[in-house]
Amino acid sequence: MPNPGFRPRASLFGSPIHAMLVHFPIACFVGALFSDLAYVSAPHPQWANFSEWLLAFGELSGVIAALFGAIDLFGSPRGSRPGIAYLHFLGAATVLVLGLFNNLVHARDGWSGVAGTGLLLSVLTVLALLVTGLLGHRLAFVHQERARP
Amino acid sequence: MIRASFALAASALALAACSHPQFPAAEQYGANPRLPQPQLYLFPPMGLPKVVGWGADQTPKVPAGFTIEAVARNLHGPRNILPLANGDILVVESGGPGVEPVLRPKDIVFQWTIGRVHGKTKPGNRVLLLRDTDGDGVADAQSVLIPKLKSPFGIELIGNQLYVAATDAIWRYPFTVGATSVGPGTILTALPGGPIDHHWTKDIVASPDGTKLYAGVGSNSNIVENGFEAEHGRAAIWEVRTDDGAKRLYATGLRNPNGLSFYPGSNTLFTVVNERDELGNNLVPDYLTSVRDGGFYGWPYSYYGGHVDARVRPHDPKLVARAISPDYALGPHVAALGLAFASGGQFPARYRGGAFVAEHGSWDRTVLNGYQVAFVPFANGKPTGKPEPFVTGFVADGKARGRPVSVAFAPDGSLLIADDTGDAVWRVRAASSGAPQPATVR
Repeated sequence: MPNPGFRPRASLFGSPIHAMLVHFPIACFVGALFSDLAYVSAPHPQWANFSEWLLAFGELSGVIAALFGAIDLFGSPRGSRPGIAYLHFLGAATVLVLGLFNNLVHARDGWSGVAGTGLLLSVLTVLALLVTGLLGHRLAFVHQERARP
Repeated sequence: MIRASFALAASALALAACSHPQFPAAEQYGANPRLPQPQLYLFPPMGLPKVVGWGADQTPKVPAGFTIEAVARNLHGPRNILPLANGDILVVESGGPGVEPVLRPKDIVFQWTIGRVHGKTKPGNRVLLLRDTDGDGVADAQSVLIPKLKSPFGIELIGNQLYVAATDAIWRYPFTVGATSVGPGTILTALPGGPIDHHWTKDIVASPDGTKLYAGVGSNSNIVENGFEAEHGRAAIWEVRTDDGAKRLYATGLRNPNGLSFYPGSNTLFTVVNERDELGNNLVPDYLTSVRDGGFYGWPYSYYGGHVDARVRPHDPKLVARAISPDYALGPHVAALGLAFASGGQFPARYRGGAFVAEHGSWDRTVLNGYQVAFVPFANGKPTGKPEPFVTGFVADGKARGRPVSVAFAPDGSLLIADDTGDAVWRVRAASSGAPQPATVR
């Protein structure tokens, strides 16, 4: 399926900025899940604090990455945008919404910030990331197809 | 699955929105307050007044039959007062040590929020001596008795020894009433100070026989979110021998005890305590209680006896089983910091034996609470009935002119109030006392 107009709009020396930035939210949100698990198995506040910083930077870097992703998507001609680009966009939005709630839940003091709702949100965020990541990979493949002579 | 997670986010929002049944204010006081169910929040309730300070002719309000005047204005964060037998007043000017690190993203927001509701002047961190040389009730001479202290708060005089509790140690200075300077200071004993030093005010009071000091040490967190290691020797009242500084834990589980006072004519120690935050507008009420030797009052595991705080892990059911429920709830989040008993003097008979409580005022609540000096009636040495607003007007139109921190009775029976945000010391007299009516009162 040829998409002649669909290519990364925000790029640096030919590399898409969005693809360079998405590692940060992925690493942070996955890291937060692991520190949540560490906390509920042995509730030392260090692990809850780890989670809070990871979630905060995950959200911040995620928003920045999403901005460049949105530039790529909406900067392309409407007709050239593949359907999965919208799904990827929706997935990323889900991650950021979950992440936002998770930041607020984790701001609670002690056990109640992590156990229960916090941990559940961390799991859901990582699951949403998995789906979004797969969709993102498909999109990159589409770009590649486009670039092929 | 994406749709499912959206549904979860939406339900979390809905959960946060539907929380606040109106809770009967009248039932949140006294020996058996009605405690609502704890709530968890995405955005904990908050309410903060804008600080405007006092106009030159403004004063707090007192009930009919009393007058109020400024003993001194334009001080630098006056937080505690010690009236002396000759009419001099020692004033402790202080501010927090500012050593609390940012350990969580939330701390950035928290420190900014709380910082906003303190006075604009830089705290003095010293002890001042105020003297009224012409007897008009207004201090006209001021001298710095002890400069450069590390966030001092508690102050007590036993004979010719003046004790001042800095945030990390109790200091002792030779001092004679009437003098305007002290001898060289020595450390009587160290107290838990930094690191963190979340609740930093260390209040002290002398035992009736003068052989011991009791020192309140507040917790290093709301509910041990900085770890149990940070709480050694904290959320407690220490007993310190004045002869050699040896000390022991007298009572524990008191989140932030201040206003330590012995009930007049007794050996019963009382304190006011600031209870925990972020469980709701009406939870947990701050309290006034007598303190038992060896008593455990719940923090952090539980409040008001066996009400377990689910935020604290690991649990300690054994300690919770012996947690003492405090004597008297003062109301949610009033931030009671000062306590003085009326033992006689010029106040009308109905106030005698009762307690006056300085309530610094709430932040962890949508509707402001506290910001007043309350009167708690006593019968047979025990608090009874409802607290009554006594000195008010610290907040007007949602703006804070001042915030009372501590209260003390002067030898002439008038009530002195330290107002750290209004940078003033106030004096309340019974109108019938025949006291001078100073020109500052309108």
